[in-house]
Amino acid sequence: MTVLEISFYLFSLILVGSATMVVTVKNPVKSALFLVLAFFSAACIWMTLEAEFLAIVLVLVYVGAVMVLFLFVVMMLDIDVARMREGFARYLPVGIVVALVLVIELVLVLSGKFFSLDAMPRPAGHMADYSNTAELGKLLYTDYVFAFEIAGLVLLVAIVAAISLTLRRRPVTKYQSPSQQVRVTKADRLRIISDAQTESERQEDAQ
Amino acid sequence: MDFLTDIWMWFPEVLRVLVVNGLLIVAIVIPLMLAVAYFTFAERKIIGYMQVRVGPNRVGPRGWLQPIADAVKLMFKEIIVPSRANRYLFRIAPLLALGPALAAWAVMPFTDKWVLANIDASLLYVLAMTSMGVYGVIIAGWASNSKYAFLGAMRSAAQIVAYEIAMGFALVGVLMVAGSLNLHQIVTAQAGGIQQWYFLPLFPLFIVYFISGVAETNRAPFDVAEGESEIVAGFHVEYSGMAFAIFFLAEYANMILIAALTVTLFLGGWMPPFDVVPFTLVPSIVWFCVKVTMVAFFFLWFRATFPRYRYDQIMRLGWKVFIPVTLVWITVIGVFRFFTPYGHWFQ
Amino acid sequence: MNALTKFLKDYSLIELLKGMRVTGGNLFAKKITVYYPEEKTPKSPRFRGLHALRRYPNGEERCIACKLCEAVCPALAITIDSTEREDGTRRTTRYDIDLFKCIYCGFCEEACPVDSIVLTDIHEFHFEEAGKHVIDKSHLLELGDQYEQQIAQARREDAPYR
Repeated sequence: MTVLEISFYLFSLILVGSATMVVTVKNPVKSALFLVLAFFSAACIWMTLEAEFLAIVLVLVYVGAVMVLFLFVVMMLDIDVARMREGFARYLPVGIVVALVLVIELVLVLSGKFFSLDAMPRPAGHMADYSNTAELGKLLYTDYVFAFEIAGLVLLVAIVAAISLTLRRRPVTKYQSPSQQVRVTKADRLRIISDAQTESERQEDAQ
Repeated sequence: MDFLTDIWMWFPEVLRVLVVNGLLIVAIVIPLMLAVAYFTFAERKIIGYMQVRVGPNRVGPRGWLQPIADAVKLMFKEIIVPSRANRYLFRIAPLLALGPALAAWAVMPFTDKWVLANIDASLLYVLAMTSMGVYGVIIAGWASNSKYAFLGAMRSAAQIVAYEIAMGFALVGVLMVAGSLNLHQIVTAQAGGIQQWYFLPLFPLFIVYFISGVAETNRAPFDVAEGESEIVAGFHVEYSGMAFAIFFLAEYANMILIAALTVTLFLGGWMPPFDVVPFTLVPSIVWFCVKVTMVAFFFLWFRATFPRYRYDQIMRLGWKVFIPVTLVWITVIGVFRFFTPYGHWFQ
Repeated sequence: MNALTKFLKDYSLIELLKGMRVTGGNLFAKKITVYYPEEKTPKSPRFRGLHALRRYPNGEERCIACKLCEAVCPALAITIDSTEREDGTRRTTRYDIDLFKCIYCGFCEEACPVDSIVLTDIHEFHFEEAGKHVIDKSHLLELGDQYEQQIAQARREDAPYR
């Protein structure tokens, strides 16, 4: 076996194992952490397929950002596992049907004539100085530039929408405005009183 | 000699790859760990000097054995696992903090020849690794079963995610100017003396990157994740002994990593500042180390100077100041480079 | 301040650089650290350290067991038992000070009508066994005998200000 094969089997084993744990483990935090491991192993497998850009982006985006926020939420929840298990038997038949449909679809696709091993020959290997990233960039910004820009626009709209949801202000809640606070100067807060104040001025102050 | 080569070739390929890479990793990690140990010493000394004190001076001549004494002390301390803590995650968290901090060094070009893995997307790789360091912090905070640790972990996670974006945008500027994601190529593009280094055309990005780096490593004035005046010691309150030491190692290894990245991306990596004889004679690894030390010194200088930020102001700085600044400067670079005759300034 | 100058001032980081100039300057300043066990700062004659019981020059102990110190002690660190000596004077049979309870306020010294209990300027002392923190009369008298010169000197120096 070559190093490549060994690493493929190793990472696939970890991937399948951790994916199983994601759905079976009781604690939601642990299950999120296993999902992180699954993403990471998937990235490693992509790396062996010479898709290093995609692999690193998977780690950067999903492991580094998405799952962190996910964990953030999951950790703060106090999930009652027993109550979540209550409907298990009721939903089981539906679940089995969905799973079966998925398996049959996969089998149909992979054993069909379009995606079988014969139809998908192993792509030619590239030299060490071949830049996966540059090729991907060229494709994205030439052939697929419209699809790419539209995807970007859709995401931007989603961001704007999400932010506008947080702008709901209730009149009773008190907010502080950090930008106003940092703009405060000495003159706003402090008044220097001269020692040489006259008696009449002092009386004015007292009043 | 041939005989030895024969024995060597007799081993299976897997084993040979593992042994060679293992030795190379050790060759990077051991000097790095020594650097971390003496960085902690430098921190205590320099901050002491800035506060008109002398710092540690008792262990060994002028205190030079202090880090070794600290390490030995921590090794012999008991690791206490709090009650009702998640024992397994509690123990694995320090390793999750240290692992990425060391893994990122795999692609660091120390000199023209010395780089463990000269991969094409090495800059992205470094970003991916540094963004994974946050897991150690989050898991430590959650697994400790302690309010303070959890608060520290939450603060740290939100802060790292926020500053990761500003940092990423600052790097986009470097990528546009260098035209490569490969750290080695980014350095070679800065050849030819100090006027070619990217910190000049990308000055705002350089500042944003470095300050984000300070925030990303949870260092003063952005150290609210530890915030000893509010939440004791943040995410590592419950850790003692070697487990605590590993968090410490990770933090300092991350600081040196950020310093090394700043040098690589903005300060010409291993290149000498002037391309004339007395400077070019000095070996490039010396230039690299000197520059990293100078940048790392700023981490300590900041800590000695600035009071801690308030948490909402940290968030404001990250989202409302740094990200707009980087976006504006990226536009400036793009416009200048491709639509004006001054494009050569940005190359 | 007008918004533009404020903007320029903020983004030029001038305030931060000013702060860094201060700390950077101190990096090279002369250090004021006192290397403690080798170097010591001068102590005031009023310094309140370890206790001692004094004697008169003829060797008679000063303490008359009036128990004023015991009464005034805010930390209840002093315990005194007394009896009548053969010559008819009242003397202590027991004079214990619990050094863990003592807060070194010096009230005992101020309360003492015969200047018997005093606080010396000794502050480098320790106990190596449990229970040794309660020092008894013989120990206190011993301390008084040993440091009489220093104690008397400190009292003389401070006398004009009393």
